[in-house]
Amino acid sequence: MTEDRNAFFEQYDKKTHVLGRMTCLICIVLFVGAPFVMGIVLGAMPDLGAFARGFLAIGPVWLVSCVAEYLIYVPMLGSGGSYLAFVTGNLINMKIPCAINARDIVGAKSGTAENEIISTLSIATSSLVTIVVLALGVLLLIPLQPILQSPTLQPAFDNVVPALFGAMAFKYYKGNLKVAAIPVLMMTLLFLFVPSMLGSVSFMIIPSGGIAIAIAYYFYKKAGAR
Amino acid sequence: MLTQLNSSAMYLICGSIIAFVAVMCVVFMIRAYRAGVALGMDTTKMKRTITASATFAVLPSVGILLGVIALSGSLGTPIPWLRLSVIGALHYETQVAEAAAEQTGITLSASQMTPTAVVTIVLLMSVCIMWGMVLSVFFTKKYSRKLKGKASQGEAEDTAEAGGKGIVGFGDVAMTAMFIGLVSAYIGSYFGQIKASGNWLSLAVAAVGALAMAVFILIREKKDQEWIDGFSIAGSMIIAMAAAVFLAKL
Repeated sequence: MTEDRNAFFEQYDKKTHVLGRMTCLICIVLFVGAPFVMGIVLGAMPDLGAFARGFLAIGPVWLVSCVAEYLIYVPMLGSGGSYLAFVTGNLINMKIPCAINARDIVGAKSGTAENEIISTLSIATSSLVTIVVLALGVLLLIPLQPILQSPTLQPAFDNVVPALFGAMAFKYYKGNLKVAAIPVLMMTLLFLFVPSMLGSVSFMIIPSGGIAIAIAYYFYKKAGAR
Repeated sequence: MLTQLNSSAMYLICGSIIAFVAVMCVVFMIRAYRAGVALGMDTTKMKRTITASATFAVLPSVGILLGVIALSGSLGTPIPWLRLSVIGALHYETQVAEAAAEQTGITLSASQMTPTAVVTIVLLMSVCIMWGMVLSVFFTKKYSRKLKGKASQGEAEDTAEAGGKGIVGFGDVAMTAMFIGLVSAYIGSYFGQIKASGNWLSLAVAAVGALAMAVFILIREKKDQEWIDGFSIAGSMIIAMAAAVFLAKL
């Protein structure tokens, strides 16, 4: 990267953080403030005692999950993509695979300016598509409901995530079988012998990803030594 | 209660927040595109990213729409519309809404819903999942700079080790490996579902998705059709989801 490009990207990155922080702060205020504004419309305010009990019961699990997601996904998404993804949600079932797919299609390398741009474009586009699809869906809810909820189509919509991960698995296992074999085998054995873990799949991404990275590192170093 | 929850005022509150987030996405998108042009990036690549991401996102979005429909029976339409258009996650919303309803002493059904219960549930749903945003405000700048520093250090080491042969940096290898770990956790869980509940459909659908992807990759490689890359995931998903309809009848 030439010095001019470096300086331009530095400036872009700096402004991304300012914009990202500002918009995230506004979103926090909007999301937390919304129930109180709704309360004015509905004529009732949140029961803070029930809220505190509920938070103590389920909050810590999601707090840990959010911290883990944050640490894992920021390196994948870059700065702009991260700010957008944590506001727009649906990370595992859409944003992460979408950004990774886009990155691979154009061959962007992590930590580069190109990766930052591609990731932001990908997350912004997918978020806008979700917003538009849901807005159209809500607008057409009455005519669409019988189609979307028809018992015939139910298995299709119940299996969006397996369809996505099946396709992604082939794409990423192909050419990386040495890295994939042990994590997929270990996860299969774990879920077969400890079925209670089926409720914690999103948490098991951490050890599974850790094992995959360790194996990848081994082969990476081995290739470098040759 | 549902009439109140589906009132124009509720649509206005939720619609305004969604509109703000949509504008935020557009601003980030335009900035990124312009920066890409200024940095001399190939505009075809950027356009392909946009097309591929848009096609990729359609089917999961329809799945998310079903989440809105599922929750609309108890929380009305505007609240699930807001939750799932922004910040929420399909696997999270129903679970948290049910837990929150339990804490307010009701079950998640329209007949038991009270205004206090609704606003308490929405507050709990918002607070429980907002930590990614909170962390972003305080740490993303430092964290991403640290990562960038490591990436450039790694790149320098890699180039030195490889004697300038252009070997892919470990940062990219690690990202791919992490994603392989993520996918492996889900594939493993589909095997577990067979033993736990006899549900073999998830695994079968994933297998059809993989097979369809194999065909797309084969066409891409044999016929040198680069454009297929942008549609292969969405195409594989449509084929796998269509297969689910038939497989479920077996």
